[in-house]
Amino acid sequence: MSLTALLPILALLSSLLAAVVIFALPESSHRLRTLVNLLAAVLKLAIVAAMTWGVFRGVDFSVSFTMLPGVNFMLRADALAMLFAGLSAVLWLLTTIYAVGYLEDSPNRSRFFGFFSLCVASTMGIALAGNLFTFFLFYEMLTLSTYPLVVHRGTEKALQAGRNYIIYTLGGGVVLLLGIVWLHGLAGDLAFRETGHFQGVDPSLHGQLTLIFVLLIAGLGVKAGMFPLHGWLPQAMVAPAPVSALLHAVAVVKAGAFGIVRVIYDIFGIDFAYRQGLLEPLAWLAAFTILYGSVRALSQIDLKRRLAFSTISQVSYIILGVTLFGPLGTVGGLVHLLHQGIMKITLFFCAGNYAETLGVHRVDELDGAGARMPATSIAFTAAALGMIGVPPLAGFVTKWTLGAGALAAQMEWAVLILLLSSLLNAAYFLPIVYRLWFLPVAAPWPEERRWGRLETNAWLFWPPLVTMLMLVLVGLLAPTVVSPLSWAQLIAVRMYLP
Amino acid sequence: MNSLPSTALIAASVLLPLLYPLLALRGVWRGALRALLPLLPLPALVLALLSASPWTLELPWLVLGSTWMLDELRRSFLLLTALLWSTAGLYAAGYLGAEQLRRFCVFWGFTLAGNLGLVLAGDMASFYMFFTVMTFAGYGLVVHEGSDRACFAGRVYLVMALIGEMALLAGFLLAFRAADSLLLADVAAAITTTGTDGWLIAALFLAGFGVKAGLPLLHFWLPLAHPVAPTPASAVLSGAMIKAGLLGWLLTLPIGESGWAPWGQFLMVLGFVGSLGAVLPGALQRDPKTVLAWSSISQMGLMAVLVGAALAAPGHAPLLVPLIALFALHHGLAKGCLFLAVGLVLPASRVLRLLLWLLLALPVVSLLGLPFTSGALAKGVMKDTLLALPGLPLGSQLPLLLQAATLATLVLVARYAWLLWRQLQPGTVATARWAGWALAVLCSAVLFWYLPGVG
Repeated sequence: MSLTALLPILALLSSLLAAVVIFALPESSHRLRTLVNLLAAVLKLAIVAAMTWGVFRGVDFSVSFTMLPGVNFMLRADALAMLFAGLSAVLWLLTTIYAVGYLEDSPNRSRFFGFFSLCVASTMGIALAGNLFTFFLFYEMLTLSTYPLVVHRGTEKALQAGRNYIIYTLGGGVVLLLGIVWLHGLAGDLAFRETGHFQGVDPSLHGQLTLIFVLLIAGLGVKAGMFPLHGWLPQAMVAPAPVSALLHAVAVVKAGAFGIVRVIYDIFGIDFAYRQGLLEPLAWLAAFTILYGSVRALSQIDLKRRLAFSTISQVSYIILGVTLFGPLGTVGGLVHLLHQGIMKITLFFCAGNYAETLGVHRVDELDGAGARMPATSIAFTAAALGMIGVPPLAGFVTKWTLGAGALAAQMEWAVLILLLSSLLNAAYFLPIVYRLWFLPVAAPWPEERRWGRLETNAWLFWPPLVTMLMLVLVGLLAPTVVSPLSWAQLIAVRMYLP
Repeated sequence: MNSLPSTALIAASVLLPLLYPLLALRGVWRGALRALLPLLPLPALVLALLSASPWTLELPWLVLGSTWMLDELRRSFLLLTALLWSTAGLYAAGYLGAEQLRRFCVFWGFTLAGNLGLVLAGDMASFYMFFTVMTFAGYGLVVHEGSDRACFAGRVYLVMALIGEMALLAGFLLAFRAADSLLLADVAAAITTTGTDGWLIAALFLAGFGVKAGLPLLHFWLPLAHPVAPTPASAVLSGAMIKAGLLGWLLTLPIGESGWAPWGQFLMVLGFVGSLGAVLPGALQRDPKTVLAWSSISQMGLMAVLVGAALAAPGHAPLLVPLIALFALHHGLAKGCLFLAVGLVLPASRVLRLLLWLLLALPVVSLLGLPFTSGALAKGVMKDTLLALPGLPLGSQLPLLLQAATLATLVLVARYAWLLWRQLQPGTVATARWAGWALAVLCSAVLFWYLPGVG
C-alpha cells in the first residue's frame, strides 16, 4: 500500500488504537493512560501536518474499497478535509491535556478517555470521508461515542440531557440516511467533488433533488444546532468542561456544519444550488438562528449555557457564509469553522477553570475573578472580544470576510444581520468582562482550590493561553500563507475555478 | 519609500504602547509601569518630527494586508497625539495612587496604541482596528474611578461607541466594495462615483465618526464620560481621542470631490448648532471638567463647520484641510492644558501663585484666539478663509455666526476660569503633576512660533 493511501488510514487508526488500549488499561494506571493519550494526539497531529503539506503541494491522498455492491468506503484528503482535520488535531491535543487536569481525581477516567479517543477517530473520519456513505458512518459513530461523554457524571440531569441528545441526533441521523439512500437510488454512489455533480442535470429531477437537499440539510442541521433543531445543545451543558469544549468548538456542531458544506459544494455544487434557489432559504434560516441564539444568550445566568447559545448563533455564521454565492462568502464561512472553534474552545476552557478553581458556574459569581485568576481572565476577555469581532482578533477576519462576501453577493441584509449580531455579542459578553475586571469580589468563592504557584492546575492553566495566542495570531497574521484564511482561500479557489 | 524614518522607529511607535501592558503581569513591575507613562509616545513624537517628507510602509502580512503612512495631515495629528499623551502621561505618573495602578496602565497603553496607530493607518482595516482598540480600551479609562457616576457614563459611552463602530464597519465594508481597494486614499473617489451607495457610505462615516467627534445628537456620552475619567485621561479624551473622529472624517468623506455641496451645507449647519448650542448647557455646569467637555463639543462644532466647508467648496479643500489640522492641533493642546489644570493646587508662595495663574491663563487666551497664540493663528485663518471663499452655504450669515461662535467660546472659557478660581485649594501634589501640566502649557505656547514650519 502506498504512502498516499496509508496516511489517511493512519490518521484514523492513531486514535482508534489509542481508544482500544485505553479501554484495556485498568482504571488505576493514570500515568500510562495519559502517556498513551498524549502520544496518540501528537502522532495524529504529525500525520495531519504531513498530509496538509501534501495537499498544499497537490498530492492526492485517497483510499477506497467496496463494502457492498455499489457502496464504497472511501477516504480522501482534499483541502476542505484538511481544514477540519487540522482543527480537530490541534484542538484535540490541547483538550486532551486539559481533560487530564480536569478529571484528575474523578472516577471512570478509563471509560471517559476511551470514548474521548473514539470521538477523535470519528471526527477524523468525518473530515476525511470521501463520499456520503463514509461520512454517514462516522457521523453516527460520533453520536454514539459522545453520548457516554455527555452522561459521564451519571446524575439525573446528565442522563436526561443525554436522552435528549440521543433522540435529537439519532433522529437527525435517520433523516440524513433517508436523504442519502434516496440520492443513492437516484444517482448512485457520489464521491465528494469540488464542483458538485448536478450541473446540467435533467430538469425533471429538480423536484426530487430539492427534496433530498432539504432532507440532508435537516439531518445535518441537528448537530449544527440550527433553529429549530438546536434543543439538545444547551442541555448538553451538564457534561464536564472538556466535553463541552469539544462538543461546541470542534466535534459535534462542526461535524454538522462541515456536512452542510460538503453537501452544498461537493454533492450539489454551489452553482446548481444557487440556481435552484436552494441557498436563499437556508441563508435566511441561518440569519434567524444567528439572532435567535444571541438573544437567548442574553438572558442566561449559567456561564456555560450562555456560551452554548452563543455557539448556536456562531455556528450559523458558517452556514450563512457558505450560502452567500461567491468565493468571499465561502472563504468567510470556512475560515469561521476554524476561528469559531479556537475562540469557543478558549471560552469553554476558561469556564471550566472558573468552575474547577473557584467553584463558579454563574455569571453573577464572577465579580472580581480577574484579580484572582488573571491569566484565565485575560484569555476569556480576548476570546470574548474576538467573538464580538474586535480587530485584529480571529472573529474580525471572519466578520469582515463574511460582510464583504455578502456585499459581493448583493445580499446587503446579511451585513445588517452581522452588525446586529455583533451588538448582541457585545451585550452578552461585555457584562462578563466587566464583572471580571471592574467589580470587587462580592462573596467568598463557592468552592476554592489552590495549586501551588499558578492560579490553577497547570494542566488547566496552559491550554486556554495557547488557544488565546492562536486566536490573536490567526487574525493578526491572516494574510500569511500559513493562516486559516489563506487555507480557506485555497479551498474556495479550487471550488470556484475547477 | 523614504529611508529616513527607519522601520524600527515606526514599529516602536505603535509597539511600545501596545506591549507596555505586559508589565502589568507582575506586581513588582509597578514602578516601571509608572515611570514609563510619559515615555510611551516618544518614538511617535520622534517619528513626527523626523518625517520631513511623506512615507508609506507596506505590511502585506498584517491583518488584511496593511499600509501605514505619514503625510502632512497625519503628521500634524501625530504630533498632537504624541505631545498630549506624553505630557498627560507625565501628569498621570504624579496623579495616580497605588490602587488599581496596573489596571489603569493597561488601558492607558492600549488606548494610546490605538490612538497613535489610527493616525498612521493608510488602509481601512488598520484604521478601523486601531480606532476600535482605542474605543474599547478607552472604556477602562472612563470607568476607572468606579463611582456610580463613572459606571453610568461608561455604559453610555460604550453603547454609543459600539453603535458608532457598527456604522463604521458597515461604511468600510461598503466602501471596500465600491473602491475594490482597502486604501483610505481610494475611498473619496469611489463613493463619489458609486451613486446612492455613496450617499449611504458618506452618511455612515459622518455618523460613525460623529459619535467620537461629539456631533450634535451624537454627543450625549461626551459631557458624561470626559469629566468622570481621571484627570490625565480626561485630557487625552478631550484633546486627542476626540480628534480621531475628525481625522476619520478627513480621511473618508469625499473632500475635494464635486457634487457634495448639500452635505457640506448640512455639516456646516450641524457644526454651528454644536458650536452655539453647547453654550447654555455648558455654562450651567458646576464642575470645571464638565464645562470643558461642553466646550470641546463647541470647538469640535467649529471644526465640523470647516469640514463642511471643504465638502461644499471642493476646489478649496487643499486650503481648508491643513487649516483643520492646525485647528485640531491648537485646540487639542490648549484643551489638554485646561483639563490638567483642574487637578492642581495653589502653592504656598505668592510669587508661585501668580506664576500659576499666569500659566493657567495662557491656554485660555489661546482658545479665545488672542494675539501671539496658536488660537489666533487657527481662528484668524479660519475666519479669513471662510469669509473669503465665494459661494459657501450660509454665505451672508457667516460673519454673524462666526462672531457668535467666538462669543460662545468666551462664555464657556470664562465659566471654566471662574469655577477653577473658586475651586483650587492650597496644598501639595507630586512634582510630576506640575511638570506634566507645565510641559503641556509650554507645548501649547510654543506651538504658535513653531507653526509656520508645519503649515
